[in-house]
Amino acid sequence: MNSEQESHQGVDLLEDDGCYVALTHDLLDAGSIMDKVRSPAAGAIVLFAGTTRDNFAGKAVKELQYTAYNKLALRTMMDIAKAIRTKHELKGIAMIHRLGVVPIGEESILIAVSSAHRQAAWRAGEEALEECKARVEVWKREEFSGGEGVWRANRDGAVGQKVADTTDA
Amino acid sequence: MTSKTPKGHFNVLYFASAGSFTAKQMEAMPAPLPLKKLFGTLEAHYEGITENVLEHSLVTINLTYVEMPSGEDDDDQDIIIQEGDEVAIIPPVSSG
Repeated sequence: MNSEQESHQGVDLLEDDGCYVALTHDLLDAGSIMDKVRSPAAGAIVLFAGTTRDNFAGKAVKELQYTAYNKLALRTMMDIAKAIRTKHELKGIAMIHRLGVVPIGEESILIAVSSAHRQAAWRAGEEALEECKARVEVWKREEFSGGEGVWRANRDGAVGQKVADTTDA
Repeated sequence: MTSKTPKGHFNVLYFASAGSFTAKQMEAMPAPLPLKKLFGTLEAHYEGITENVLEHSLVTINLTYVEMPSGEDDDDQDIIIQEGDEVAIIPPVSSG
């Protein structure tokens, strides 16, 4: 792995002041992420679950694989969590991203936010996801049927660079 | 599993398309090296990497993003990559 702080328990995490961010190779569990933000002062928890799709623009995707610069990705996730928690006066925010092979249809990211009222939670949840997709140092590779693979880029939704052979310009 | 940097070297980490292009996840390179010579050094090792990967990527040194110098003329603010530094090539991200 690229990461230099690959954990032994399968989860790399940072926790600080109502913010929880993590990376794991394990199956994601919605209940446990909701529990991270549960609060008696909250009137709402919004949970977003991103799942892996079986095609890109109609082309069949066999599986997806995620890799990360763990140390930097966690730091960026914590920056995002803190900024959004403050902006929307959240009780709590938790974000976890799965790494390695993620079979089609399973969760690759979970974001849970809690707040006194639902409007702030809806907004904060969406904003947290968009910030993550724009900034967190995690990369997705789509493996197509037939052996070809592509690194995806969120920035423009464009097809990234082919993986199969580097001479293919 | 932090890998030690060999004496007199810094480590470069290659993520995503950078890793595919170099067929490596990381390697040690001789330090010190002016940041403005980083891309040229990589290009000398991996022909075509500038156009295919580096031009679309960001660079971090010890987890901090650095701006790549545009010319050779701003020597005063020249960043020098030092022995033991961790440099990373960061292609466009795609989490979620």
